[in-house]
Amino acid sequence: MSKSLNAGTGWLLGAAGVAALASLPFLGNAYLTTIGFTMLIAYILGQSWDWVAGEMGYVNLGHYCFYGIGAYAFAILLVGHWPLWVAIGFAVVVTALAALLISVPLFRLHGDYFAFATLALLPLVEVLAYNLTPITNGADGIVLPVAQVLQPAYLIALGVCVLTFVVTLRINASRFGYALKSIRNDEQVAETVGVRIAPVKRSVLMLSAAFGAAAGAVQAWQMSYIDPATVFGLNVALVPVAMVLFAGSGLRWGPLVGVLVLATLQQWLLVSVKGFQATLYGLIVLLIGRFMPGGFLRARWVQNVPLLRALAREHHEYMGESDTGTPAAAPAHDLPLPRHRNLGGAPLIQLEQVRMQFGGNVAVNDVSLRIQPGEIVGLIGPNGSGKTTLFNCISRVYTPTAGRVLFAGQDLKHCSRDQIARLGVGRTYQIPRPFGDLTVQENIAIPLMFNDQPLSPRDAMREARAFIEYAELGHRLRERADSLSVQEKKALEFARALACKPRLLLVDEVASGLTPAEVQRFVEHIRHVRDRYGMTVIWVEHIFSALEKVVDRVIALEQGSLIADGPLAEVVRNERVLSTYLGSAAPTEKAGGQGC
Amino acid sequence: MEVLLQVLIGGILLGGLYALVAFGLSLIYGVVRILNFAHGTLLAVSGVLASLAYSGWQMHPVLIVALLAPLLFVCAYGYYHVLLRPLARRSHFEATVGTVLVTVGTLMILSDLTAVAAGATQRNIPLRLEALEFGDIVVSTTQLLILLGIAVLTVVMHLILKRTWFGRAVRAVTQDPVGAQICGVQSTRMKALTFAFGSATVAIAAVLYVLSFPVDPYMGFGLTVKAFTIIVVGGVGNLPGALLAGIFLGVAEGLTGLYWKPEWAPALSVILMLLMLVAYPKGVGAKT
Amino acid sequence: MKKLSHLLAAGAAALTTGLTALPTQAAQGSCSEPIVFGTTISETGPFSTLADRWRKMTEVFAEEVNKSGGIAVKACNKKLPLKFVVYDDQSVPATAVALFEKMATVDKVDFFVGPDWSSLGGPVPPVAEKHKIPMVMANVATPSVYDRGLKYVWGTPFPVVPNWSVRYFDMLSKVSPKPQTIFFITHDNPVMKGITATWSKKAEAQGLKVLGNETFSSELKDFTALIAKVRAAKADVIYISSYDNASVPLVQQMRQLKVRAMDVHHTMLTGALSRQVGKDIEGMTGELSWYPGVKGAYSDLVETVMKRSDVSMFDYIWTLSRLTSYLAMIQGIEKAGVVDREKVKEALFKATIKSPAGDVTFDERGFPNTSAFTVQMSGGKVNVVWPPEVSTAKLVWPSPSWK
Repeated sequence: MSKSLNAGTGWLLGAAGVAALASLPFLGNAYLTTIGFTMLIAYILGQSWDWVAGEMGYVNLGHYCFYGIGAYAFAILLVGHWPLWVAIGFAVVVTALAALLISVPLFRLHGDYFAFATLALLPLVEVLAYNLTPITNGADGIVLPVAQVLQPAYLIALGVCVLTFVVTLRINASRFGYALKSIRNDEQVAETVGVRIAPVKRSVLMLSAAFGAAAGAVQAWQMSYIDPATVFGLNVALVPVAMVLFAGSGLRWGPLVGVLVLATLQQWLLVSVKGFQATLYGLIVLLIGRFMPGGFLRARWVQNVPLLRALAREHHEYMGESDTGTPAAAPAHDLPLPRHRNLGGAPLIQLEQVRMQFGGNVAVNDVSLRIQPGEIVGLIGPNGSGKTTLFNCISRVYTPTAGRVLFAGQDLKHCSRDQIARLGVGRTYQIPRPFGDLTVQENIAIPLMFNDQPLSPRDAMREARAFIEYAELGHRLRERADSLSVQEKKALEFARALACKPRLLLVDEVASGLTPAEVQRFVEHIRHVRDRYGMTVIWVEHIFSALEKVVDRVIALEQGSLIADGPLAEVVRNERVLSTYLGSAAPTEKAGGQGC
Repeated sequence: MEVLLQVLIGGILLGGLYALVAFGLSLIYGVVRILNFAHGTLLAVSGVLASLAYSGWQMHPVLIVALLAPLLFVCAYGYYHVLLRPLARRSHFEATVGTVLVTVGTLMILSDLTAVAAGATQRNIPLRLEALEFGDIVVSTTQLLILLGIAVLTVVMHLILKRTWFGRAVRAVTQDPVGAQICGVQSTRMKALTFAFGSATVAIAAVLYVLSFPVDPYMGFGLTVKAFTIIVVGGVGNLPGALLAGIFLGVAEGLTGLYWKPEWAPALSVILMLLMLVAYPKGVGAKT
Repeated sequence: MKKLSHLLAAGAAALTTGLTALPTQAAQGSCSEPIVFGTTISETGPFSTLADRWRKMTEVFAEEVNKSGGIAVKACNKKLPLKFVVYDDQSVPATAVALFEKMATVDKVDFFVGPDWSSLGGPVPPVAEKHKIPMVMANVATPSVYDRGLKYVWGTPFPVVPNWSVRYFDMLSKVSPKPQTIFFITHDNPVMKGITATWSKKAEAQGLKVLGNETFSSELKDFTALIAKVRAAKADVIYISSYDNASVPLVQQMRQLKVRAMDVHHTMLTGALSRQVGKDIEGMTGELSWYPGVKGAYSDLVETVMKRSDVSMFDYIWTLSRLTSYLAMIQGIEKAGVVDREKVKEALFKATIKSPAGDVTFDERGFPNTSAFTVQMSGGKVNVVWPPEVSTAKLVWPSPSWK
């Protein structure tokens, strides 16, 4: 992004643009103003939809409900002779509350089921509008007093548009925005790095609803009449959604460009083409979906057109934080982590008869163990023995069927995943799960924004550099995480876990598939974080030679049960462990069993 | 008492028809994981075609089905290959968005072309047979035959799913696409076949639908929404579940009309669905 | 960066203006230009099911009117040709509003006719009022839309709610055996609910006991519960107040469930209904705003237009409203004698205009007094049965097919 266009210039140009748009009702004719007004409304609807869809990844196909509820709430008050601003405010508040109410059942769903459920909301609310006649006047609709309000309505809509754009910028520059983006990528992982997702989801839905309602209220004012079919009709409900998807959801300029292009196209088709307008419009939508489904701004050919390329920028803020002239002054080994002094005999983590059962399948079978602060403990066992499930029980990805998990003496029973993360449990996953469409830097910055002492996004991005250097990913700082190789992803995964500033680090098979040199590096990292920062580590691993170098003791699992717990040298000679790994004919080959 | 019985019968018949609309969509979604927004419109357009065939060429409904089903099968197969399959290669986000845009575009095109070619007015197949009377209870013969057709169709499809290789492959892919591939199921061909098969069932559903209720080119989307509701409640890919869900909805709507007010019946399905989803986020009968 | 959006917006505006070529200049005051009527028709979208082939019909109407020279303008001492500007409003109110704005400011039409339907009849008239262009709406029957103090707006829905079943209830008071009870079934729609509200009161006043009123939504497909209530009431007359298409399953299921009555009356007995329910329609009575064969003002013109554009009166009862709105505006211009909006506005105020179905008088709100003839289906044919002076066949009472 060219640095010559600094923030000040940007705002000046923006103000000029808005002033130009504001002059349209006075300079242009009523037709252009009406079309302009429709586009403004479409932008408000489209952008507010995109906060939930493009930013957070939840496709709310019933967004138009908020528009309709806002229109009705506004109309009811206006007919009751309340002042305009009170009516608009009422519409916004009522709709936001409705969104809060509906979010309770809705957010129990994910992905496609969420989309289905939201789609079904439209006919439901339409029926409510038809039947709650004392409030909504039923099928008659609400007739508002005729007032020629096109100009003031246009100006108010323009104001709301500007506000919408500003809110979009603010969201993307804030922790809230990063919470949204982390949810978009991987909700579960987001929680285990400390993001509280439930309030975030509710808030963004309410925000989206509030702006949708404002659009509905202003348009109802301008049209001076609403009835159920007009505001809840399925034939118009998907139009703002299509407009955003057309250009590119999740992009800064996506909704705006999409609205401009498609609304203009629609008007043009309407006045210049006699017949088949819907077919042509549908054909264009279809072709974009087939050939440029990320929106046409994400297509490859756009990169070659300078003007369009500028419009196609994704929301990656604080990129400048990686360009600070001086490289990280401190040596690569100094991380901004607190140093834990591990005194006292109380165990850091304690499992008491923990059982995890899925239907008839017992994955973790009454396991009890304790780990002292500052220990590095290896966790071994054949595939399917319950190692990862154990990790999941500790980090609350699963809730244990029975038993207790105590962390620093505190029972984790009533803690949520993000609370556990903030208490000091960090983990990696067996198959790396980075936040794919975010940069490496953003991936590390997110835990820094959401842990016990949260940092602002700017500070977090700065501090993330240290972790990235530590993981030797400095050259990949601004690349998307999903473009990394497997080894790089594992390094990122590890660095991200460290960025959670944990007291207990759960490492899940980080060394598989790596070269001996890379394995050695990990071994050193693990030793280093314990020696220098006092972290306690549980390491699931199959590569015994790696474990051998660094673990204090080893715990072995078999089919969910704990079968051995002691120093490595002892455990690998344990008969049960051997038979579990090598089969029951093993005993005669004991001599060769060492150090496998 | 007789009134209640009458309403129950009516509800079952209506519900069965709803379920039929949802069958194809359930299969398609289960295997191909595509939100096909054009599904209802395909039914509406097929219904218009069927009505034209009946009134214009005096074709018997069974003949219409026999011609329409293969036609839809072939068209859907080609449609999948040209428009939908290439999207699967993209990222998950782009694939989802792409299919939404493609199917929404298709629905607009289909409605418009049909309205231009055949007119936008409502049509149906006005075939009427004498009703059966049991004392004070009257059962419409047409609807009884339709229910029979639905039952037969359900049983046949259920047998196909349970006994044939195709059916087993469909269920395998629904449960675990990767595992199925490892076992030799050609994923792409399976998806295309399922899409085509699901679309072909629309032909049958359309003819049965249009024997009871009128259709016009623009009503499709509303039907799609209802079908989605049924799939969610009955569980994806679960055909008997969809039938039960459909019947449940039909009966619930009828009872609402009887004991409360008919105006509220259409809202019921959505409210029920939302309640179900809160209680069972994965659908009531989630496994195939 | 905001500059971009400004540029794009300006570009879009230029594009749209440039692409809309200005048609013939308005004829206001001039004696050499055609008179331009601007209108939108719901050619696509949910309302299009009611408005098939109206664009063609409108174009044919202009041709036929121009065959005799056009509209007579006294001040010019000659006839000026008629021209239409027609757009598709896609059944979306916001689109209709934008298009009427366009016709006012860019296309610069002389007068407005249409639109149809309350959803559009709510938001669009303020545009006419703002630009002071007289507008005769077509199928907008909701009285509340006329109560807004607009001075430039009239409408010609056929028939209006207060007059809808005048002739039918007159008939009911004169037939033998005399019906004592009546049951209303109402489609959830403003016009239909208005009809039931008005006519249930008038029925009571006439001595007919109203046994019940059940309302159903357009979405409803299974009428078993509703029909059960109707059958239980055992009324003499069943009055169905509904759009034709919405009531198709109702009529079919009433037959299947063997509902009985002296008469089953339908407020919208049309060809579309007849086509979809087939023989089920036998014996039902209904209302029709006009019927082929009856002579009245402009009836030849209307018949020719409908034949040439392949629109059947029985199929599209909304059509008479549409054509009458055109005829009303023409008569307003002829009465004013000059192509001037203010003069035409005065000419149409509380005016009486002629239509194929008789005279139509507007009140001070622009609301007309249109009404309908009572018809009955026998042997697959539609017959006018009331008033007896103009009937084409004798009323069969009680209806044999509903016994």
